[in-house]
Amino acid sequence: MQSRNRIAYAFLAPYLLIFTAFWLWPIIDSFLLSFQNTRVNPWTFSPGLNWGRLSRDPAFYNALKNTLLILVVQVPVMITLATIMAVLLNSPLLKARGLFRFAFFAPVVVGEVAYAAVFRLMFNLNFGIINKLLNTVGIPSVSWFAEKPPAMALLIIAVTWRWAGYNAIIILAGLQSIPNDVYEAATLDRVSKIRQFFFITLPLLRPIILFCMVLSIIGSMQLFTEPFLITDRGGPGGGTETLGLFLYRQGFVSLNFGYASAIAYTIAALAVLISLLNLWLGREPK
Amino acid sequence: MAELSLKNVVKRFGNFEIIRDASLEVSDGEFVVFVGPSGCGKSTLLRMIAGLEDITGGEIWIGGAVVNDVEPADRGIAMVFQSYALYPHMTVEQNLGFGLRMTGNPKADTERRIRRAAEILQITELLDRRPRQLSGGQRQRVAIGRAIVREPRVFLFDEPLSNLDAELRVQMRVEISRLHKELGTTMIYVTHDQTEAMTLADKIVVLRGGNIEQIGAPLDLYDDPANQFVAGFVGSPKMNFMAARIIGKTPDSVTVSLVNQDAVQLTLPVRDVPAIGEMVTLGVRPEHFAEAGQGDADLAVKVDVAEHLGNTSYIYANVADGEQLVIEREESRNEINRDKFVVAIKSSRAYLFDGAGKRLK
Repeated sequence: MQSRNRIAYAFLAPYLLIFTAFWLWPIIDSFLLSFQNTRVNPWTFSPGLNWGRLSRDPAFYNALKNTLLILVVQVPVMITLATIMAVLLNSPLLKARGLFRFAFFAPVVVGEVAYAAVFRLMFNLNFGIINKLLNTVGIPSVSWFAEKPPAMALLIIAVTWRWAGYNAIIILAGLQSIPNDVYEAATLDRVSKIRQFFFITLPLLRPIILFCMVLSIIGSMQLFTEPFLITDRGGPGGGTETLGLFLYRQGFVSLNFGYASAIAYTIAALAVLISLLNLWLGREPK
Repeated sequence: MAELSLKNVVKRFGNFEIIRDASLEVSDGEFVVFVGPSGCGKSTLLRMIAGLEDITGGEIWIGGAVVNDVEPADRGIAMVFQSYALYPHMTVEQNLGFGLRMTGNPKADTERRIRRAAEILQITELLDRRPRQLSGGQRQRVAIGRAIVREPRVFLFDEPLSNLDAELRVQMRVEISRLHKELGTTMIYVTHDQTEAMTLADKIVVLRGGNIEQIGAPLDLYDDPANQFVAGFVGSPKMNFMAARIIGKTPDSVTVSLVNQDAVQLTLPVRDVPAIGEMVTLGVRPEHFAEAGQGDADLAVKVDVAEHLGNTSYIYANVADGEQLVIEREESRNEINRDKFVVAIKSSRAYLFDGAGKRLK
């Protein structure tokens, strides 16, 4: 039996080595890094430096505030949209269903740089189609990149466009797992379609929607691409700087790895905390 | 409570006809069972009555009114589904009361109906549980309870026992029978199990390929099947069929020779006779073989397997020759002579079918 175990571990060894070198060790090392002063050469152990700075740094609080704002607005809007899209995609009345499913999922497949470039063009102050459309209904052009609230709205629109279809496909899978005869029973029980949605579909989708919310919360906490590419590195003036971007600036622009590690751990801890809170709030009633 | 009738009902999916010209009268309080093999259209017919499937042609009447265009909820029916179709996120009590609460039924009345249904089905102690905490039998009771609280004019059951194990099936069968006696409501029950049909029904409707093959009381179908399909479907083990040739006839009898059974000859009291030389099928139920010498023709068979169940035995014979016979013997605990086992066929308990399967009387 022991030799069998040894052989099993021998087969597992390559994976375990790679796992340790590229996953486990970086996690441990970055945690240790967060207690080191990496602005001096050689790096010194200085436990309070990075965590102390983090607790006082207005740039961190700005990024945290921006991230939480995006999270609080974007995640519920996107999940609601995704649920509506999933219900529509599931409708037997829909023609060319496969095409629509692909179309909704396509944004995830599109390269981030390409989609960011298109969004920048669409929301351009002078010749972007969005401002032109707004003008046609009598709304003056919006300076999407030069002011904070429109820039924030733009980010939320972009992230929602990119991920709503992805979540819709997950929710669609959940919808399809609800047996049709439950709805037939409700129809015979004289329950209207709208009430069936609120009293049967939504409660039965609860675990799937919670799963999507947790994924989206984690994604929002790490948001980097959109503020980097679309609003030009968190512009205007840090108005859309997120925690992910702030971490990038500290780590890879200022090369302050110790501080960046402390930020990374804070992001991870916050994502876990908010996800747990979300799961607790959305738990099934006893 | 209500009577129900189907008048020339047709169901088509594209060019494919699922139900062909089905007509049926169900009296008030009657227990009718639709029975037939998979794909015969019995569930579709039930769902058409419920309003869950559109009707392509014909009329469905419930309680003296045509309901073709009436919404399912307004037909006064309640349905019990094969998969129970309970709302998984609700307790038993919520499952029972959901429909009534959604339609604004007075609270006191809803509670009274739930209490009554729970008492009838003995599920009062389960009211706070969720479906996943219940056994299959308990879930089925809840599904039936949900139908009871609606106080429908007609109950529809779509293979309600097929997900239960054999023992529970028997138990629930008895309970459904008791429920029918207690409520006295019209019930229509779909099953592929002829035993369920025989034990529950006041009237059985045998379906095959979208056609109603025969309608009748259980024992009428057993004693007087209209065709070979019904004869084979009703009764367990099923009727034995033997190829035969007409070799002689008088105005009120016919003599056949069993072509695969050593040309044994038998004369039957049949008037409606095809020409001499034509091939027919002789049907004998396993329980209707007599002791050797006590019938109208003796049949020597080679025994292949004997199953002894205690109260009775089933003898599988002539398997090797390609025309299997099942013979039921009440007293065959003793060793039987496997190579030379002789039984007798009584002409009064044999059936004759023509080449198309129609019964010859």
